[in-house]
This record gives sequence, structure tokens and C-alpha cells, in this order.
Amino acid sequence: MTDTNTVTVVRDESLIKKTKAKSIAGKIGIYAFLVIYAIIILFPFFVVILTSFKTAADASNPEFSWWPTEGFTIEGYEAALTSPLVPTPLMRAFLNTLMYVIPPTILGLMTSSLAAYAFAKLRFRASKAMYTALLATMMIPGAITISSTYTVFDTIGWVGTPLPLMIPGAFGSAACVFFMRQFFTGIPDSIIEAAKLDGVGFVGIFFTIMVPLSTPALIAQGLLGFIGGYNDYLWPLLYTNVPGMQTLQISLKQFTGMFGSRPNIVMAGTLVALVPTLIIYFFAQDFFIEGIAASGIKG
Amino acid sequence: MASEFEVATNVGEADQTAFPEDVVLTENPIPVKETQRKKGNKEEIAGTLLASIPLVGFVIFGMIPLLMALAMAFLYMPRFGFEGAEFNGFKNFVTVLTDDMFWQSVWNTVLLGLSTFISLALALVVAYFLSKDIKGRKAFRMIYFIPYVCSVVAITLMWGYMFNTNWGIINHLLGRTGENAIDWMGEAGPYRLAVIIMSVWSGMGYGIILFTAALTNVNKEMIEAAEIDGANAWVRFWRIVFPSISPTTFYLLVMGVIGMLQSFAVTNVLNGGNSPDGVGITIVYYLYNRIFNYIGAMGEASASAWILGIIILGLTVFQFWGSKKWVNYD
Repeated sequence: MTDTNTVTVVRDESLIKKTKAKSIAGKIGIYAFLVIYAIIILFPFFVVILTSFKTAADASNPEFSWWPTEGFTIEGYEAALTSPLVPTPLMRAFLNTLMYVIPPTILGLMTSSLAAYAFAKLRFRASKAMYTALLATMMIPGAITISSTYTVFDTIGWVGTPLPLMIPGAFGSAACVFFMRQFFTGIPDSIIEAAKLDGVGFVGIFFTIMVPLSTPALIAQGLLGFIGGYNDYLWPLLYTNVPGMQTLQISLKQFTGMFGSRPNIVMAGTLVALVPTLIIYFFAQDFFIEGIAASGIKG
Repeated sequence: MASEFEVATNVGEADQTAFPEDVVLTENPIPVKETQRKKGNKEEIAGTLLASIPLVGFVIFGMIPLLMALAMAFLYMPRFGFEGAEFNGFKNFVTVLTDDMFWQSVWNTVLLGLSTFISLALALVVAYFLSKDIKGRKAFRMIYFIPYVCSVVAITLMWGYMFNTNWGIINHLLGRTGENAIDWMGEAGPYRLAVIIMSVWSGMGYGIILFTAALTNVNKEMIEAAEIDGANAWVRFWRIVFPSISPTTFYLLVMGVIGMLQSFAVTNVLNGGNSPDGVGITIVYYLYNRIFNYIGAMGEASASAWILGIIILGLTVFQFWGSKKWVNYD
């Protein structure tokens, strides 16, 4: 800690002027930095959008053009969405992804938040031990169990089915329990006690009090869970890498091999794959950012 | 806990979680605390049941595979399953640890993982600037966080296009076209640099959000007092700001290192193992390769997985040990 005992305020006008000038220069520097960084983040998206509307020849022209020289075309999108070369057509892969991701996200959200409610508001002897065990799971690196998990799913015949992508998530996630517990803890006990006196049971309290009071948090967690599943790469690569069953990400990944010389198609596919998560993000950014900030601070 | 009061309930033991509407308390003047104590038994069961669902999932899909991987590390397995498996002692570990490719994968992982530290440092700088009295802070933050919601595949494809040797915009901007073009995907050095750049670009958002949140909790009066004392910005940052956000820094560092040691997707999407001189082969890629491109190597894959686990554990313990010197929990 710095010692603040020697506070001497000197009213030196020239000094104040000098520091003011310095701080203005500093401000400009900071804004310049922040703007440049924002451009660096946005620039690749500009390139993707631009390229996706170019012709194949234009997109692979060694002389990079900042505007489609052969005019705007949607041939990249047509090929990305309808090309028979793609083992799992993009739209099919998109529907596959929704089918694999939405049910476990909803179920997992429910199981996680029920558990979080138990940890936050119910008293039971094993509470602390169970909570510690759950937090410990967040520490286990997923990579260690890739081979043995594959053996398990191979043995029970789940390889080549979406079940390995769906079933584990339905049990909930430690991170979601952790986050929702923080949130539920903030809900005053007095409301719960009142409901108890009215004869509402534990699960009833969860649905009539906890859920309505924490809808934004639940939505944030649900959306984060959905985006995590939607963007996942390793597990769909391991378990549903079969033509017709592939997820959007796996299907998209194959674009580089198939359309290597026609980058306009690859970029169109990339943009199509990005749009859903970007839309969700733009509409729910506050939920997201606050949800993530809250989960990290307490960690 | 003995019950001191009688509270009439008509709940059957079995259905209290399934049919919560059945839980009916008669009107009673008993203070809340006492009611709760009386309901302890039901609460005990409901709580344990509700809390156990994620734990059951963890046991089935986390704990059991973890122990199985340990067992498999000592087996020779002709295929993916256990039929025909034989115990072969430490042979898998010997095979992995004497495999040059494994050590190369460790080295590759560490070099590519430098992106973790770079993105953390840059995220802190950005967050620190954002914590100043900045107009449009929300807009900046919104933009910076975009890469976080984008998939690795999409990010890798877009950067792969920009890094393309022949028509990529990066060579164009650097003025390195035609004969002078940098072969980003074909040479080890440029390849590593390209992967690090895309990882930093995509990895900073999370750190920025967490650092920004931590920085809002820094004691402003203390900074002002130090300013009046004549401490310059540099000193103020390292003496006051940095110590008070050190728990967040530590958290990001630990999680970042754990994640970085498990990197796989970027280099796999970029060129699936055909990276120049194999510099894109990370530890997890090595393990993945054992499973799918070798026959009867599940044991070796599991052995390398456990070696990776031990490396991760070792580094995490080391970081916790080191944290006593610089992490400041108030």
C-alpha cells in the first residue's frame, strides 16, 4: 500500500496546465489504440463479407481488390448452400446441429439450475462435499478422457450417433451450476419462506419463484450453452463424422478441401455459419457480457 | 436435530420431489427458523436429489472415463473396445516418452501456446484503457467480444483465407506478392506466427471482459491519493491496480494454461496434420492421431493423455505455489 500521509496540495497553475495537456494527449492515444484494435477485430469480417460476394476468379486473384471487380454475385452462396459435393449439405448440417444442441441445452439448463437451487437455498448434509466435487470437475482437462470416452461410446454402440453429443450435456454443467448458484443466493430467503408457509414445495418454489426471478440469467446461460454446442468441433468430429450426420462446423471444415480454389464459396459458408451466433450475440450481448464477467470474478 | 414442534404435513416420503404441490403445511404460528428445522428431513432428501443430477453425469462421463484412461494406459488394445486387451505394463508410456514426435508435439504446443500469454497481456492493456473515462466504452467492449462467439472453424477459415500465400490480403498489405510472397501455410516459422496471431485475435475477448469487471472494483481513492503523492501512471498501475486485480489475472492465467495445453482445433482445421514440418501437431493432436490413424494404439493414446494430465497438474500446482508471491486476496 502507498502511504497517503504526506498529502500536499500545491496550486501551481502551470503544473495543472501541463498535466492537463498531457492527459489530453494521453486520451487521444488511448482512443487511437482502442479504435485501431476495434478495426483489427472487425476487419476479418469485412474481408469475409466482401469475398463471399465476389466471383471465384475475383476472390482468388493475386491482386487483392477492395471491391468486387467483377460485380457482386451470390454464386458463392448458391454453391455453399446447394453444392452436391458437400457430404452433409450446409442446411442439413445446420438442422443437425440444432437437433443435437437444443434439447441437451434445455435439459442441461434445467438440471444445472435445479442443482444450483439446491446448493443455494436448501440445507442438506452433503451440500458442501457435493459442491466441492462438482467444482473439481471443472478442473479435469477434457483432453485426458478423449480415448477412454471413445472406448465407452464404441462399446455401447453410440459412435456414429449423436448421443455422445447429447446425453452428457443433459446432466448439466458445473460451470452453469456455479453461475446459477451465485445468482440464486442473491434471492432473498424471505420470499421463499413466505411461499413455504403457503404450502409450496421445494420444486414448486423453484418454478414459481426462482425461475421467474432469474429469467435473464437463465437465458444467458442457455444461450452460452447453445453457442458452445453450436461451435463445438472436437466431439462432432469424433462421433458424428458421417455424411448426412455432420454438424455445421464439420461440414464447413470440409469446404477448404473441396473449394480450395474458390474462396468465395468458403467465405460464403463461413458467413452463413457465423450469422446465427452473431445474431444471438447482438440481441443478448448484455446478458452475455455480464454473465461471463460474473462467472469469472468469483472464480 | 430433534423436532420441537409438530407440523402437520401430508407428504408421502416418496413423492415429495415429484409432486411438490402435495407439500402442504397447515397454518401455524411457528417462527420460520423452527419450521425449517422441522422440514429438515424432506429438505435433506430434496436437496441431495436435486444436487446429485450433475454429479451423476460427472461420475459417468468424467470420473469413470478418467479412471478408465488410466487403466487403458497399461493395456494393449487391438481395437477401440476391450476385447482382446492385454496388460502390457509400462510399455505404452515407454513408447510415448521415447517417441520424438511426442516431444515435438509438446514443444509445438508450448510455442503455439505463447499466444495465451500474449493475449492476456494485451487484454489487460485494452481493459485498462477501457476503464478510463472513455466515451463509447460499451460499443468498444461489444466489438472486442465478437470473436468469442465465433466458432474455431469459422475463425480459422477466415484467417486461413487472409493468410493465403497467393491471394491473401495479409501478403497484399505487406507488399509481399508474387515471388516474394510469404508462404504462411508452408513454412514452419510463418505458420507458427499465423496460428499465434489468429489465436490472440480470437482469445482476447474473454480476458478483456474479466479484466474490465475486475478493474471497476479497484479503489479509485487510493489511485487519486497516489497521484497526488506524485506517483506516475506506471507506478500507480503496478503498485495499486495490478495487485488488486491479481486474483483475476491468476484465474485467467491458470485457465489459459490449462486450455492452451489442450489446443487442437485451430491447427487441425487449418491443415489437419499436414502443417509444415509438423509444427501444427499439438499434444492433443498427437493423441487424436494415435486413436484414429494407428491400429491398436488406444493404450498409447491413453498413456499420452495421462502424461498430458500430469503436465497440466504439475503446471497448475506450480502456478498456485508461485501465486503466493504475487496474488493478493484481500
